[in-house]
Amino acid sequence: AAQLFCTSANMSRRYDSRTTIFSPEGRLYQVEYAMEAISNAGAAMGVLAKDGVVLVAEKKITSKLLDTKAVGVRREKMYKLDDHIACAVAGITADANILINICRLAAQQYHLAYQDPIPVEQLVQSVCDTKQGYTQFGGQRPFGVSLLYAGWDEHYGFQLYQSDPSGNYGGWKAAAIGAGHAAANNVLKTEYKEDITLAEAIPLLVKVLSKAMDTSLSADKMEIATMTKDASGKVVHRIFDSAEMQPFIDAANAEKAATGAAAP
Amino acid sequence: MSIFEYNGAAIVAMAGKNCVAIGSDLRFGVQLQTITTDCPKVFQMNDKLFLGLSGLGTDAQTLHEKLVFRHNLYKLREERSMKPTTFAHLVSSVLYERRFGPYFAGPVIAGLEDNGTPYLCGMDSIGAMETAKDFMVQGTSPESLYGMCESMWREDMEPEELFETLAQCLLSGVDRDALAGWGSVVHVITPDKVITRTIKGRMD
Repeated sequence: AAQLFCTSANMSRRYDSRTTIFSPEGRLYQVEYAMEAISNAGAAMGVLAKDGVVLVAEKKITSKLLDTKAVGVRREKMYKLDDHIACAVAGITADANILINICRLAAQQYHLAYQDPIPVEQLVQSVCDTKQGYTQFGGQRPFGVSLLYAGWDEHYGFQLYQSDPSGNYGGWKAAAIGAGHAAANNVLKTEYKEDITLAEAIPLLVKVLSKAMDTSLSADKMEIATMTKDASGKVVHRIFDSAEMQPFIDAANAEKAATGAAAP
Repeated sequence: MSIFEYNGAAIVAMAGKNCVAIGSDLRFGVQLQTITTDCPKVFQMNDKLFLGLSGLGTDAQTLHEKLVFRHNLYKLREERSMKPTTFAHLVSSVLYERRFGPYFAGPVIAGLEDNGTPYLCGMDSIGAMETAKDFMVQGTSPESLYGMCESMWREDMEPEELFETLAQCLLSGVDRDALAGWGSVVHVITPDKVITRTIKGRMD
């Protein structure tokens, strides 16, 4: 009788070439490889506070030759998706640009149809449905991007979501993606407290970022963005410039030096 | 009755010295019945750009919503607001896309360029643009409006005088129009602010 089953030890080799196929162990290797790509990319993390959401990210492209005034290059990690939703990305930048465009279109299409701003979770869901499609049909690889979404809507107030290449998403009080995210998540688990305010959350995140990054913090290597409401109740998305970031950076670097000096 | 006269409208835009003003009537009607008297036909696109849309109400509404869509995406991608000339060309483009099944709307665009120069533009329902240095009108009684503007407009009017002139042209222009009137709203755009005034005219 003809042998019907291959007894090769590494079965995964036969299944990797097709992105939309399960492996015998029931894994989607391409999705896992995508997540692997992201854990080598610049870190991004977010915290949901009572009075807003803060996102902090590490920039990987820091050449002096970069023209920081050109649109599209000015920022690497933080993007506005609509007036009330912003995001931070980690992973393959080119893939991220496509997804950001998809998010922006989804938000405007919702607004065109319903004359209402898209609820944050709906936007996340719609993008995740797109991402999931790339794991099931078409024979195309998944997007090598994880996103952190920060937004406000009238239904659930301030919210923070995280999505990954599988198309899965979750709502979080604090989350980290990219390099060092496991360690960052651990620190956030111990340091996060309910009813944290934005004023407490920003230094916390900067501190967590400085722990996740190998080098010391500086304004040209990171981005900070917040989603808050101004005095009139309007939702405001702000990306900090270098001068605004400096006090937080100084505080974090000082603390790092102090604890570094204190440790045996 | 023409499809452009189903709802009725009157829009006037005028240029002054480093300022523009645009105003419309407030009537919302269905043929000869007036339904409400609080329906402006002028929309603010950004702090120095206004769009007036006359013609069929539903088309004016949909067109406005589509242009907000396009303008929002532009602002997100380019990280700046659209210039008046750019916006006008976008409107023209969107209208021509429907060349053989058009939106029954008559747009008027009024704005200030970056250096404070006034920009005025009007077009037909399939996007043929016409820019002007003095004034632009659209609506169900353009002849009356043109007549008033032609006699009242002068060059280099200051914002206050521009407002008075435009308001008088609009109010008198709609007197002979059964389909437009019932009060009006006028926006005056200067480099630092926008002043909006609602005027009670002949309520008929």
